Amino acid sequence: MADPVITTIEIILIIPVALILGVLFLFLFRKLNARFQWRVGPVIRMYSDLAPLIGKTRIWQPLYDILKLFGKDTIITDVAHRRLFMYSPYFSLLFAIAAAFFIPFPGMELLSSVPYSLVIASYLIISSILFTILGPVASGSPWGAIGARREVELFLVSELSFVLSIFSIALSSGTLVISEIADRGWSAPSILLSLTSGLLLFVAMLGKLHIKPFDMPEAEAEIVAGPYTEYSGKLLGIYFLSKTFLTYVLVALFIALILPPVSTSIFWLPAWAVAATALVFLLTVVQVLNPRYRINNALYWYVKVVIPVGLVSFIIAFFIRVVV
Amino acid sequence: MSIPAKILKQVLSRYSSPMTLKYPSGVDPSKKYSQIPEGLRGVPERDAEKCVGCRACFMVCSGRATRIIDLGDKRTISIFLFRCTYCAHCQESCPEEALKMTSKFEFTIGEREDKGAYVDTDLEMLRCKSCNTAFLPKKMEKRVFERLQEKMNPLVKEVVLSDYKKLEGYCPECRRARSTNFDTHTKKWLWLEVK
Amino acid sequence: MIFRADPDLVQFVREEIAPEGSEFKPLRENRVAVKVDLGLLDKLADRFVHKYGARLIHATAVDLDVLGFEVVHIYDFSKTKERLVVLLEASMSKEDPVVPSIAKVTWQASWAEREMMELLGIRFLGTPDYRHQFLPYEWPNPVEGGVSGGQMPGLGEEIDVKPSPQEMWIPLGISPKQAYSTLIPIGPYHPGVIEGQIVYVKVEGEEVVSADIKTGFHHRGIQKLIERRGYSKGVFTSERVCGICSAAHGLAYVTAVENLYESEIPDRAAYIRTLLVELNRAHSHLLWIGVVADVIGWKTGFMITWGLRERVMDIIESITGNRVNYGIWRIGGVSRDVSNELALKASAALKGLKDECSKLLLLVADHPVVKSRLVGVGPLSYSEAFEGGAVGPVARASNWKIDVRVDNPPHAMYDQKVISWQVITDDHCDTYGRTLVRVKELLVSLEIIMQCLDYLAKTSGEIRVKQKVIPVNSEGVGLNEAPRGELTYFMRASEYDQNLPQAIRIRTPSYRNNAIIPKMLVGSNLADVPVIMGSTDQCLACTDRVEIIDAKVETKKSILWDELVALSRKRRGREF
Repeated sequence: MADPVITTIEIILIIPVALILGVLFLFLFRKLNARFQWRVGPVIRMYSDLAPLIGKTRIWQPLYDILKLFGKDTIITDVAHRRLFMYSPYFSLLFAIAAAFFIPFPGMELLSSVPYSLVIASYLIISSILFTILGPVASGSPWGAIGARREVELFLVSELSFVLSIFSIALSSGTLVISEIADRGWSAPSILLSLTSGLLLFVAMLGKLHIKPFDMPEAEAEIVAGPYTEYSGKLLGIYFLSKTFLTYVLVALFIALILPPVSTSIFWLPAWAVAATALVFLLTVVQVLNPRYRINNALYWYVKVVIPVGLVSFIIAFFIRVVV
Repeated sequence: MSIPAKILKQVLSRYSSPMTLKYPSGVDPSKKYSQIPEGLRGVPERDAEKCVGCRACFMVCSGRATRIIDLGDKRTISIFLFRCTYCAHCQESCPEEALKMTSKFEFTIGEREDKGAYVDTDLEMLRCKSCNTAFLPKKMEKRVFERLQEKMNPLVKEVVLSDYKKLEGYCPECRRARSTNFDTHTKKWLWLEVK
Repeated sequence: MIFRADPDLVQFVREEIAPEGSEFKPLRENRVAVKVDLGLLDKLADRFVHKYGARLIHATAVDLDVLGFEVVHIYDFSKTKERLVVLLEASMSKEDPVVPSIAKVTWQASWAEREMMELLGIRFLGTPDYRHQFLPYEWPNPVEGGVSGGQMPGLGEEIDVKPSPQEMWIPLGISPKQAYSTLIPIGPYHPGVIEGQIVYVKVEGEEVVSADIKTGFHHRGIQKLIERRGYSKGVFTSERVCGICSAAHGLAYVTAVENLYESEIPDRAAYIRTLLVELNRAHSHLLWIGVVADVIGWKTGFMITWGLRERVMDIIESITGNRVNYGIWRIGGVSRDVSNELALKASAALKGLKDECSKLLLLVADHPVVKSRLVGVGPLSYSEAFEGGAVGPVARASNWKIDVRVDNPPHAMYDQKVISWQVITDDHCDTYGRTLVRVKELLVSLEIIMQCLDYLAKTSGEIRVKQKVIPVNSEGVGLNEAPRGELTYFMRASEYDQNLPQAIRIRTPSYRNNAIIPKMLVGSNLADVPVIMGSTDQCLACTDRVEIIDAKVETKKSILWDELVALSRKRRGREF
């Protein structure tokens, strides 16, 4: 553990960095989504005849959407459990920001060298998502109930994929500390391990970020808005903000675990940016090509694909640990 | 996994040329409104020289947008654009071909009483010689007379013209009141068979 | 094209169909009207359906002022004799309007009788469903002994759904036992359904146990408008019944009016009419595919098919001057000609579209996730479709080959010897089948369009035969194949007025398909409910129009509003 003062500065610094990077990732997601659909998307450089009226760029559009929500009315239903309904978004945001402290960023080690930091980070991610289940249940609307139920089913299964992937990597390096995992070297079997665990972690990200084909909790054609139906105004803004942070956390975790040396020192920053862009591009491609699964199909598919690949991944990890 | 790959190829085909068109230039940036076709049914426009005030457009208007306002010496035919359905029925039924549908489609106004929401034409009316009510637009009387002369059968032309001189300038009520005094030839069309 | 009556059909009707001694009049083309006694209606219905395999097109009633009501049943005999449509008319006085119901013979009549009971006050003996169709369920029922809210029998079985306003929302958090089987109202505002309607769905977990559909939110009074404005203005009003299928309504209206007299239209007008109706069908099917893609969650498919649709809309705009309401339908032809250059330009613009459509759409139909969402969802077997009276692609996907363009063609060029096209059927009997039927119909439509444009580019001629006088005291039936199914316009000319009709009745295809939706929903997953509803391609703007409202129920309106306001105040727990 490094100097406490530097760590404290890094912790304070990571919050705006995570926010900005999360916003940029969401912007890239939307822009690529639009281009695949033959549309334009939020523009990077505004047309010259409109620029004096409405600004030069639309890169910060996801942030504008969140700020717009803060300015709207917050309506709370009569039958809701008031406290749980109102505090859930804040807890969700808190845990998402806390999870960002445990994941290294090029140049900043933060708290990732704390013992068991991998387990702590994954628990914080789980808690953040847990509060997107509790809040809607407390709202008292049938749409929220169905959305929360679907979220629970999806969540239990995406956790399987997540856990198989991170623990196979932890097994291969013999440690549960993220900074040591991010520092490990390369060898032929470890590239293979990166592939299989990377696939599993990618699939887990699809489930956690509600990317098609696994966005059935938020299916607006079927259950209005799912868990977020009764949320409006600043509470919904806080949920979106926590989703922004969660995006950053999952992308950074992916890079830290699957592409080992990239998260360590500041000279790797361009590579980190390229890797993050490529990851967002892959997520968009999967989103664009697939409709939404029904919940029982999703479970079935997970069981058919996730468990075999997870077993293979564990075998490779075991091999690396014992032999290498 | 070849089907998603094929879909991806089709989806990426317009990656750099999206279907969104800029407004108002459209596909051709040098010309304004380049994607509007020629025959677009926009705001109707009436040629004030040709219009005779026959009210045919008022009778066939399917959205009840055309109104006739007779006030004093003036007849105003006014189309209220927010009721118009742009069906071009008035263009079809105008006997003088005075109405044309232009391609104009932008006519937002700021207030309800703005004149931009109306397409107005004013016509002068003829007053009756005896009772002084305004009953016919002057242009219509002239035009009807021209058409009578074009289409009249030469056998009865003289008689018709002399009768017309006697009736000229009286409104229908006064004509009915004076019908026994006019000394006109009734049932002129039967003459054609006799002769 | 000249439309004349066929003496063979008249003979057939006189000998076999009309009961002994009843008077009948041969109408123009293939329609025959028979006047029967009121008590014979159900026996005749029985005979027609079981012996001759006839299909009920519509059952309606006309209000003839002092002469009483006249109930009209329209049957389609195309199974026995090609292109025969028989109208059975029975009159009764207004004092005691009681009619035997034919809903036991063919279930298709139950919605039609429900409507007549609600809006005209005619009582049908033995009809199964007494509930309101357009007004809310809680409105007092004009039929004595009629049930408000309650049983909805569907195709022979009883489903117990009792939606009262207080029970509609069961908020979780009251007790798990009460919420075991949750009643979910889908509508009137819901992103998954396009227009306003309520589908009451009772779920256990995610499985639908029973369902009920309530329409009536889009009442606009179009039938009354046409009755007041006359034939020539009705051309524009009838187009505006629906925005997506406006050409189909225009053609059906014009066919109905032309059926009132011995009509003929020039050949070129027939080709232009076919061209526009098929362009309409192409854009409607592309729109539908986009909507279904959106409902199953594939937004990219939605954007891409609507992007292809824009090219069709550009062609429509350059031909008619507007994208949605074409305004070229006239009695006796069309009003705007397609010049040779325009036809060539349109032909060139559409040439690439057919290949792109076929490539993309057949790929989508093989996508594994799409298939897993659509296969096996919303099953409707052949016998259920036949009894329930399905029309359009819903029926054709259950392997039942009915298509109005072949059975009773409207006044346009659909002769299969002149333009080569074929009717598409499929035997999947579920949502996947309906998707395939519509995709293939889209490709067939594009073929028809190219052939019409070829003809129009090479020839020239007249486009309209003006008709000066519409006869009085006659009936006309206009049938057309809208993108959603069979569309019927029944028109009755007035006794004395040449400009205004006495009655016009519009029966749209969504009217029929909506009645079958509850049957398809039972047993499916909640996630599939919007998919099933979307697969019948509802156009609720078409479904709700109006007849003359019975004055008895008018006064109750204010009471219900106050009750509603009091209820909402109590719910929020405070006064304003």
